[in-house]
Amino acid sequence: MVTVEIRIELKKGIVDPEGKNVMKTLKLLGFSGVRSVKSIKVFDVELDASPEEAIKSGEEMCTKLLANSVIQDFKVTVR
Amino acid sequence: MIRRNVPYSLYDVNILSATDDELMCISSEMGLSLSLEEMRMIVAHFKKKGRNPTDIELQSLGQAWSEHCCYKSSKLTLKEFIFSIDNPNVLSRGDAGVMVFDDDYGYALRIESHNHPSAIEPYGGAATGIGGILRDVVCMGAQPIGLVDPLCFGYINTCKKIPKGIKHPHYLVNGVVSGIRDYGNCVGIPTISGGFFFDDRYNGNCLVNVGCLGIVKREELLSNYASGPGDVMILLGGLTGRDGIHGVTFASTNLTSTSDKDSKGAVPFGDPIVKEPTIHACLEANQKSLITGMKDLGGGGLSCVIGEMAFGVGGCGADVNLDKVPLKENNLTPWEIWISESQERMMITCRPENVQKVLEIFDMWDVNATPIAKTTDTAHIRIFWKGELIFDMNSEFLTSGPVYNRPHIKPKISTKIDEKFPHVKITNDTIKTLLSDINIASKEWAIRQYDHEVRASTVIHPMVGKINHTGPGDASVLMPVPGRYKGLAVAVGCNPWFTEENPYNGGKACVDEACRNIIAVGAKPDALTDCLNFGNPENPERFGEFREAVRGLGEICNDLQLPIPSGNVSLYNETPGGEHILPTPMILICGLIDDIRKAVTADIKNEGNKLFIIGKTKDEMGASLFFRKFGGEKGDVPDVDSKNLKRLMDKMLKTFDKSLIRSCHDCSDGGLIIAIAEMCISGQIGAKIDLSEIGDLCIERKLFSESNTRWIAEVEEKDVEAFKKIMDSDAIYIGKTGGDKLTVKDTDINLTVDEMRSTWNDPIWNLMGGNAE
Amino acid sequence: MKNEDVKVCVLRIEGTSCEDDMYQAFKMVGASPEKVHLKQLIGQTSSSLKRNIEDYDILAFPGGFSAGDYVRGGAIFAARIKSTIGPQIKKFVESEKPVIGVCNGFQTLVELSLLPALNETMSSKSTAVLYRNDSSRFECRPTFLRNDNRGKCIFTSDIPKKKILMIPSAHAEGKLLSMDPKFVDKLVENDQIVFRYVGENGENAKYPWNPNGSLSDIAGICNSIGNVLGMMPHPERVLTRFTHPDWTRGYNSEEGDGLCVFRSVMKKFL
Repeated sequence: MVTVEIRIELKKGIVDPEGKNVMKTLKLLGFSGVRSVKSIKVFDVELDASPEEAIKSGEEMCTKLLANSVIQDFKVTVR
Repeated sequence: MIRRNVPYSLYDVNILSATDDELMCISSEMGLSLSLEEMRMIVAHFKKKGRNPTDIELQSLGQAWSEHCCYKSSKLTLKEFIFSIDNPNVLSRGDAGVMVFDDDYGYALRIESHNHPSAIEPYGGAATGIGGILRDVVCMGAQPIGLVDPLCFGYINTCKKIPKGIKHPHYLVNGVVSGIRDYGNCVGIPTISGGFFFDDRYNGNCLVNVGCLGIVKREELLSNYASGPGDVMILLGGLTGRDGIHGVTFASTNLTSTSDKDSKGAVPFGDPIVKEPTIHACLEANQKSLITGMKDLGGGGLSCVIGEMAFGVGGCGADVNLDKVPLKENNLTPWEIWISESQERMMITCRPENVQKVLEIFDMWDVNATPIAKTTDTAHIRIFWKGELIFDMNSEFLTSGPVYNRPHIKPKISTKIDEKFPHVKITNDTIKTLLSDINIASKEWAIRQYDHEVRASTVIHPMVGKINHTGPGDASVLMPVPGRYKGLAVAVGCNPWFTEENPYNGGKACVDEACRNIIAVGAKPDALTDCLNFGNPENPERFGEFREAVRGLGEICNDLQLPIPSGNVSLYNETPGGEHILPTPMILICGLIDDIRKAVTADIKNEGNKLFIIGKTKDEMGASLFFRKFGGEKGDVPDVDSKNLKRLMDKMLKTFDKSLIRSCHDCSDGGLIIAIAEMCISGQIGAKIDLSEIGDLCIERKLFSESNTRWIAEVEEKDVEAFKKIMDSDAIYIGKTGGDKLTVKDTDINLTVDEMRSTWNDPIWNLMGGNAE
Repeated sequence: MKNEDVKVCVLRIEGTSCEDDMYQAFKMVGASPEKVHLKQLIGQTSSSLKRNIEDYDILAFPGGFSAGDYVRGGAIFAARIKSTIGPQIKKFVESEKPVIGVCNGFQTLVELSLLPALNETMSSKSTAVLYRNDSSRFECRPTFLRNDNRGKCIFTSDIPKKKILMIPSAHAEGKLLSMDPKFVDKLVENDQIVFRYVGENGENAKYPWNPNGSLSDIAGICNSIGNVLGMMPHPERVLTRFTHPDWTRGYNSEEGDGLCVFRSVMKKFL
């Protein structure tokens, strides 16, 4: 069994309302010096496969379900 | 403790030969939260049986005898003042109360607290609170139609030091609102009403009360019991895990500085996406008459539900195959399974011939359903683990927890004699100070995060007036049966500051306020459900407050013949160091309106209409917002004359029936002037006020007194005569609508509607962030 | 065809919580709606419960939080449909039968690539997205929509052009977005824009009138044939005047602003 980590983040140029709002609230709570906040989503998928196969199916999972190619990039790594 | 020689975890606990010290040690080490006296009762019971209890038997008693499950401290008081109110329109007093809606339908109502879990983990605590209250309504066979969430926190920007181990109000407010939003929106039940109460006395122990309404065809009304011996008990919904173990015993003690670390296991996590199909499937099985009873697994888990469902039907017992319970993880011990409070679970009973049909419905919705027990005629609960008997107790002993007559001290109340009146020059700033207090200020930040329109039956919304220029409403109104104009109104009534200074008057005032809100939309108060949040009942002062508040509550409900078919008590709301909350009896009231097309909202509708105040304004400044804000002390706390309330409600309903009132708002926090300001804000129209006809009170008292049983009404010139004919001297003329300013004769008050709007609108947005850009 | 012969499939799975409202909307215009679980269409039920999508005249995707809205709104619902009855759904659309998706239903249609469908009825990859609101919050508020369709969409055939309707919104992910810089131009060219958010006097909508920051204030679009409509606001919540938030301030008709969407599509079957 291997564990693949699927990391999904917004494409460059797409605004991140969650990050923006978290940043605003952090400032409100008195955290000074916060430059930026970015929201990122991570899935850990355990599967029975070789590392190569695992990467391949991880990528397929992204295109079929986990990531929307219009706004999101993904990175699949084996842990 | 002696481990039994079996291939799973089971201990016999030696209590028969234990000393008092050892008994207390057992109670605390096993997390039972039972007192010495209670442990001795258990010893006596098992002496008669001639054996020691198993760990699972003791754990079961710890659950069943907790304050949360058996109301051991509050029962006598509730019996004395509340349970006696009878009303032929009560259809059921089950997990939720059910009242007559019309000839074909009943409506369900219930409120309960989720205070302690929310103080530890606000998001999960609030979300599971919603889950639990939904189940209570579904158990009656009713479709949930609306959620109501009154909440109490410390000031969002409090300057007080937050006790160790306690979370900051800002964090709690955000977490609780997010939890309600995500769960309520996701299951598709509108959150239609609620309330926020901010005071530093809630810093250490916030209150999260959750209420739910439902609608049920009267012929489909379900009981919470089995139908008799031989019924099969089917466990539904989520899997059972370690989450939520000792939730009720945790809720029945004070929070401590390490509660957040000790009791992680006591906050179960919810999953709305299991709940939503479970509701569908339960209601479908009920509509097909396949089930005999239904009950929610809340506090105490299986240990409470099986006993109550079996015993409630008339002394039945049950044989339970505990190893059949589907689990989240494999290594749970029998006692953990028995008392786990994992979320999203329900129990239904049905006749053996219907089991297969019931299972098919749940399979369709991919909801787990597992027969785990059978009711018997033995009056004993017996648990088997892979065939071996590990639990055998008389269900009467199990479900008849102790009842206490706790000592109480009658609280000292605030009066006019010691009154210290604050010397403040009344200016625009005085009004703005009150409007911007976060107890008055707009709650739009929260309200618009809740879906209050799903199910397409919300007739009067929580915010009223011109679209995107709205102000606060009084009651929300639903049209629960498609195609029928009959409406169900719902509102909250609570004034913890009154209750603190005078618990008896405060108890009455909460009901008065609730009734005022219902009347203000043109509906008739019909029933209420209450969540009584108080401090440690073992402290005679706290228990005195509880008793007096309940006495006030009971008296006024008796006078008005307002039934309380359901309710909840939450005690031990204290923080380390003994700081206790304000005594907070939270009232959720329902009203009926025959034709929702006659309902009225609080926003001023037109220029040139006349404004009246209904009811008497008195010198009752105690605990008023004006006193709290400007340093006033003591003073008489507003009283309620229930005969007068009833008389004025009847008159008001007559004027609504004739459609004589264009807008109506109740006078509460901040007094008359704040009520009028709010009506201007939501109507985008000003008003010229002249209070000379009110009588010979000083202007501060006229403006800011919070006397009960008062409303402001807007009446068109053409209807004034008819209106006055009904109201007579109970309605006093106080001015005219029009212009873009609010002015009060003989004062410096001269405020534009826009200025009032931003003063009232912005504070909570500014504190919580995320305001519109 | 008589109204009651028009069979509507209101498709549901766990979490599609607005199916009762959608059902009621079609009931009010005289059609015969049925709430159908996806499992009934893909044969995972006992035979008496099995249904065939071909037997219906209209397909409706209700609002809600299908499958908890995990991953993205509508993504799981769409993935389940695609992998089972994808081809049948494509055929349904190609035969020009009407399909409507509201709120989460709109998200599902976009995830299914049935919208915006600029060039083909159902592409293999989605070409647009309904992204998180600019405020990053769930927004439940009344919104004004203007009918900007020039005549292609069958769900607005009974609504005067440029007419402004009050139809409420309630969502956290409703901002229509595409990486194609010509996206809006193409939609306009194809007459695929159906509703735009407008301000209280019909002017361009700023927040809160545009509750999510959607491109060009777009609230609803149709496909290039005009038989598939997706919209974020909820017409099924304003079937009568009395669920409008401001009806106590006066009204002319007891009919709600949302009913005309459902009445329009029924005209196709006359």
